[in-house]
Amino acid sequence: MRHEFIYYRVPFVLSLIAGMALWEIVGRHTSAAFLVPLSTTLVRLWSMVASGQLVSQFLNSAALFVTGFALALVLGAPLGLLLARVRLLRIAVEPYVMILYATPMVALIPFILSMMGFGFVPKVLVVFLFAIFPILYNTVEGARSIKPELIEVARSFRSSEWALWRDVMVPYTLPFTMTGVRQAIGRGLVGMVAAEFFLSSTGLGQIIMTASQNFDTAGVFASILIIGLIGVGLMRVGLYIEARFARWRH
Amino acid sequence: MAELAVRPIEISAARARRRAPGAAVLRLAAGLVILLIWQGVVGALAPAYVAKPSGVIAAIPEVIVKPEFLDATAQTLVAVAEGLGIALALGTVIGLVMGRSIIVERSLRHYVNGFYAVPMIVVLPLVSLWFGYTGAARLATIVFAGLFSIIVNVADGAKSVSQEYLEVARSFGSGRLRTMIDIVLPSATPYFLAGFRLAAGRALLGAVVAEFYTAIGGLGFFILYQSRTYHHNEAFVGVLLLAAFGVGFELLINRTTRRLLPWYRRDEGVD
Repeated sequence: MRHEFIYYRVPFVLSLIAGMALWEIVGRHTSAAFLVPLSTTLVRLWSMVASGQLVSQFLNSAALFVTGFALALVLGAPLGLLLARVRLLRIAVEPYVMILYATPMVALIPFILSMMGFGFVPKVLVVFLFAIFPILYNTVEGARSIKPELIEVARSFRSSEWALWRDVMVPYTLPFTMTGVRQAIGRGLVGMVAAEFFLSSTGLGQIIMTASQNFDTAGVFASILIIGLIGVGLMRVGLYIEARFARWRH
Repeated sequence: MAELAVRPIEISAARARRRAPGAAVLRLAAGLVILLIWQGVVGALAPAYVAKPSGVIAAIPEVIVKPEFLDATAQTLVAVAEGLGIALALGTVIGLVMGRSIIVERSLRHYVNGFYAVPMIVVLPLVSLWFGYTGAARLATIVFAGLFSIIVNVADGAKSVSQEYLEVARSFGSGRLRTMIDIVLPSATPYFLAGFRLAAGRALLGAVVAEFYTAIGGLGFFILYQSRTYHHNEAFVGVLLLAAFGVGFELLINRTTRRLLPWYRRDEGVD
């Protein structure tokens, strides 16, 4: 207990204090166009909260992220499982899934912009494209790792198709899918901000863009802080989901 | 232990199955079907300027000899290479120290994880405020994009070094630096490669978004400019090249991992 306290809590709290102090001190001694101290950032953050601007833009961004991510999940996971089951289909499209997984999807934004314009739908498409391939790729990877013997044994015991899915396919690939879900959360968030930067400017992306155009450094730091905290929070959620399902993995 | 001994045989059996002559034909056919669907859908529904396979293929020989395209490619690649080099050097040193010193680890861990989880694209307004709309802003974005995945993975690798190796090194009077270079670094290699793989993908993404944002010359800007002037086929050649870099890097790392560390299965990386 004491050991844990000394090695975990103390350095953590000290480093947090040191980091905040460093930010405050360096911020006070540099030009305000460059870096503003933590206190100024927090004051600016509070003014954003108080004006209601932050909350409404946050909800705007959240709607975009959740829609795109949910679409990626409900399409990506079943499609991945289907590829897991139908071996021929999987062999046929595997390399293309891998290529799309490795391609920086952000490069498609200019096309989406000039074809679909500035609405909500093209932005959802960007989040969707960022998020679906990690889910699909990892599910297919998981499917590849299913031992053929397992399916053969299930078959020779006259397992029904439904039972095969329920007891072999899904339990085997789901942990991999969840790794994909964790990656997709991170990528989807990048997609969300990219859509808000490069398509029509809305949500948290708009707050940060406006602040930067007005040379409102405190506003830039405040919004980066908020998006950063959201990123950290979502990463935690992703790791938690992944760890819960990883127990199944052998 | 018994399971480990069986594994290589299983893998090679799986590989043999995958290499069946049917697989290549099947994949090629699937590729053709995808292209045909794309061609058909765009041809029937979309305006003429939208990229379609026939147009893109026709544009390839034209675009890849254009000096502006070659110049853009070179600019982006040089920036990515520089940024990755900086991120690798810094990330390896910080990661090694973090992995071997519990105090450093506990103090830095939250910052590293925090910065790692920040969607890197949000630094664009800040770096453009700091460095202006210049190549330096792009370089800073690339370094930020790549650095933390390397630190996280190298630190994990350095932590995973077997205690016995370290004890043997100590009892033979090996110094701290020597142990670091000869024992910790090699055993962290798989983690290092996993981190590098992630960093490269993120660095490429960082370069493209920085070019979109600051409109400095490069492959990202080439794509942006061509598609704004409704040259979608030409722009798509740029996307193909980016995809080729992404995939090429992935394959390179996989091959290196298999060559250097045949016993290691890569799925430990954190994205």
